[in-house]
Amino acid sequence: MVPTSPRRPGVASNPLGWLTRSSGTWLPPLLGTGGFLLLWQILSSAGVIALPAPSSLFTEERTRTLILYPFYDRGGLDKGLFWQTMASLSRVAQGYTLAALVGIAVGITIGLKPTINRAFDPLFQFLRMVAPLAWVPIALVLFQKNQPAAIFVIFITAIWPILINTAEGVRQIPQDYRNVALVLQMSSRRFFTKVLIPSALPYIFTGLRISIGLAWLAIIAAEIVMPGTLGIGFFIWDAYQQNYVGEIVLGVIWIGAIGLVLDRLMAWLQTRISPGQ
Amino acid sequence: MTTTPAPSLVDVRAIDKSFALKGGGSYLALQGIDLEIRKGEFISLIGHSGCGKSTLLNMIAGLDLPTEGTVLLDGEAIKRPGPDKMVVFQNYSLLPWLSVRENIALAVDEVMGKIGSRERDAVVQEHIDMVGLGPAAAKLPLQLSGGMRQRVAIARALAIRPKLLLLDEPFGALDALTRGNLQEKLMQICNEHELTAVMVTHDVDEAVLLSDRIVMLTNGPGSKIGGILEVDIPRPRARLEVVHHPSYYSLRSEIIYFLNRQKRVKQWRARPHAVVARHGLEKVNLDLGFLPLAASAPLAVAEAHGLFTKHGLDEVSLIRETSWRGIVDGLVDGTLDASLMPAGMPTWMTAGGHGGPPLPIVTPLTLSRNGNGITLGRRLAEQGVRTVEDYRAYLKSHEREPHTMGIVHEASMHNLLLRYWLAANGIDPDKDVHLQALPPAQMLADLKDGSIDGYCVGAPWLDRAIRDGHGIAVAGDLAIWPGHPGKVLGLREDWAIAYPNTNIALTKALLEACRYCADPAHWAELSELLSDRRYLGIKPEMIRFSEASADVDRGGPESEGAVPHHLFFGEGLNRPSRTEHLWMMTQMARWAEIPLPRNWVEILERVCQVGVFSTAARELGLDAISYQRQGIELFDGLPFNADDPIGYLNAQTIKRDFSIAEIPLAPPRRA
Repeated sequence: MVPTSPRRPGVASNPLGWLTRSSGTWLPPLLGTGGFLLLWQILSSAGVIALPAPSSLFTEERTRTLILYPFYDRGGLDKGLFWQTMASLSRVAQGYTLAALVGIAVGITIGLKPTINRAFDPLFQFLRMVAPLAWVPIALVLFQKNQPAAIFVIFITAIWPILINTAEGVRQIPQDYRNVALVLQMSSRRFFTKVLIPSALPYIFTGLRISIGLAWLAIIAAEIVMPGTLGIGFFIWDAYQQNYVGEIVLGVIWIGAIGLVLDRLMAWLQTRISPGQ
Repeated sequence: MTTTPAPSLVDVRAIDKSFALKGGGSYLALQGIDLEIRKGEFISLIGHSGCGKSTLLNMIAGLDLPTEGTVLLDGEAIKRPGPDKMVVFQNYSLLPWLSVRENIALAVDEVMGKIGSRERDAVVQEHIDMVGLGPAAAKLPLQLSGGMRQRVAIARALAIRPKLLLLDEPFGALDALTRGNLQEKLMQICNEHELTAVMVTHDVDEAVLLSDRIVMLTNGPGSKIGGILEVDIPRPRARLEVVHHPSYYSLRSEIIYFLNRQKRVKQWRARPHAVVARHGLEKVNLDLGFLPLAASAPLAVAEAHGLFTKHGLDEVSLIRETSWRGIVDGLVDGTLDASLMPAGMPTWMTAGGHGGPPLPIVTPLTLSRNGNGITLGRRLAEQGVRTVEDYRAYLKSHEREPHTMGIVHEASMHNLLLRYWLAANGIDPDKDVHLQALPPAQMLADLKDGSIDGYCVGAPWLDRAIRDGHGIAVAGDLAIWPGHPGKVLGLREDWAIAYPNTNIALTKALLEACRYCADPAHWAELSELLSDRRYLGIKPEMIRFSEASADVDRGGPESEGAVPHHLFFGEGLNRPSRTEHLWMMTQMARWAEIPLPRNWVEILERVCQVGVFSTAARELGLDAISYQRQGIELFDGLPFNADDPIGYLNAQTIKRDFSIAEIPLAPPRRA
């Protein structure tokens, strides 16, 4: 991607030269993030805000331990951040997979059948608007247990973008492709695998990518109100109850980082599976 | 089941198609379409965008169902799409996630599921090779150019061996070079495999090149088949040879005329057409037709000098047509209120010469006389042809070559004078030469490249060839019939009955304009005015007027006499003359263009609106010009007796087998 300068042909192999020339791409985000952290540091040092300064994450004993030893396990809920995250992620994985399966299946159905779409669209549009947190009490009443309730909250939050995008993707299959299928009198199985899925795939992936972010948001919300569960959400809630503000900040940063990684992962998967679309 | 000897593969029967509109109601796209397609035929559907040609194709494909009527394929109604009527879509419709080979294989698998994989691969490979895509077989469609993609689509269509190949503007999105190559390829494949094909196109040349028949569709709503042209160019055809085939340009100009006509009707429909009555006139918004000719001067003057407005006609638009045929169609479908027309046209249309039911056309005013002449090409002059005797000898010695002379319209004086002149000189105008109607502006080009021997046409096209050195004048109108009627004002009889005062006002405005045109002091200004691009759009020095003088020899190219001498106004010049119109009818009957009407007295009575002319002249204080012209005598001195037209016809030696018939005219009634 980096264009080589025609006047200095040897420069491409020089890492320092590459850094200089690509500074336009890495310098602004670095300055922006650095500036933000610096401002935070100054504000909390000066006592303007009550949050601990970023530097305190390393200076304070509790947070340093958490950063340095993500794999420690002292039993019960007192585990390293890695284990907390894995617990949350496994719930996300279950809820999200369920949402993807149901969402794609239902999406294809309503995308192909306008009547079914008309029947259920108002319901879907209504349910889509309910916030993840509002589902928590319903989920708890419904399932009586924390684990399935949390998975349900993930499922119900993540399903809508997948469902709606899939349906749209199916509706947007170009008339040309449908005509080809009609003229060739393609069997439904072949239409499904050769036309429908490849054609709707970009839409489905857009839905999946939006949903992974939503699912991750939802798990935090769900865990916060489900006491006694291992997971990054409850970790933050617990820290708040015990007034470990540094831990809260660390937890929040951790959540953001994981969310970012998940989103990138989906984007990468998308480019791998449906290239060039 | 069809029982015709050559069974048609596709039979489109009385199809209507309407679409429901969003706001309720429906749009009628196609109406009353009947079309039979024989096996092995290549049919093109041509028309303007939105005329429903793709809709018709879709109904043949089964992708859409007609609202009324049926489409039969091999005698069975088409209810759904299928591989036996494969479509090549305009935007290729390849699946972008499959390679070229996979795209073709998908179709073959689907349609010929039972064949073995080896055989399948062979079929796919055969068709990839057929369109010359061997090296690109593994590529995805996105990696190919538009032309290559369309070749894949054609290969895919052919690979499943359809009974019928349907192509929806297959080459529309391609550059000219690629399009040409693909057309040749398609033609070759169609010939080799004897395919039956229907193609939608908007490209006139493509239609002529590829088709056996061209179906022209009129504009919607309610599009119909406006005409079907047979393309008689033999196969196999090669692009470069086809353009030299004698039929090529006439087919081409036929389609272009049709498309232009559709466009004109569309424009006309787009404008408001409520009749505006004002100043005691029944209609003051008129569309007047004219052709770019020097004889159109009165219309241009009336517009430029406000004579229409002076007589209360506030909203007159002059509509320029390129051929007289456009004027005929404009009067038939009512898009023109009145028009400049050749003198023979009112009786010709009244007698049904235009092919439809007889349409009474009346004329209250003769607009111009003279201004015509016969020109022969330089090619002939170089071989010593100077006079008609030379030409007769030339025709005898060059019997095997085709000899074509150009005329503007069969009902124009040019045609009648040229035929009379040829016949009087012992040349049969149908057997010894071939007379072809051409737009005036095209004649010069044809004379230049030698595809016609000569022509008879009005100014400025008459003298241009002479001055440019492409031809010589052999006979002027002074040498054939001095003072013959040239152009008249023509309008429908039902229109004249509906708007009698408008008719008089229009006649007055144009008569006044004629008087203005006749004054030699105004001729320089006339040339300037007519050179405007609204009228003729050529240089003013090309448009010349001069006085008629008997002593000028119009034979020589250098003489002043080569300049046409229009008569626009004068004693007995403008009054519609029944005798002259009768003479023209005898001539049109002589050449079998119309039967000689047994009810010729009634026709002349209705066509020549002498009363309207007299009223107009009297109200302008021009009573003096109202008297009737005397007698008709042409150069050969054969007297014309208006009481015995049949005797006159029988006295002519060269003539066709003319018929005499009663022209069934409805009694006069309002529009």
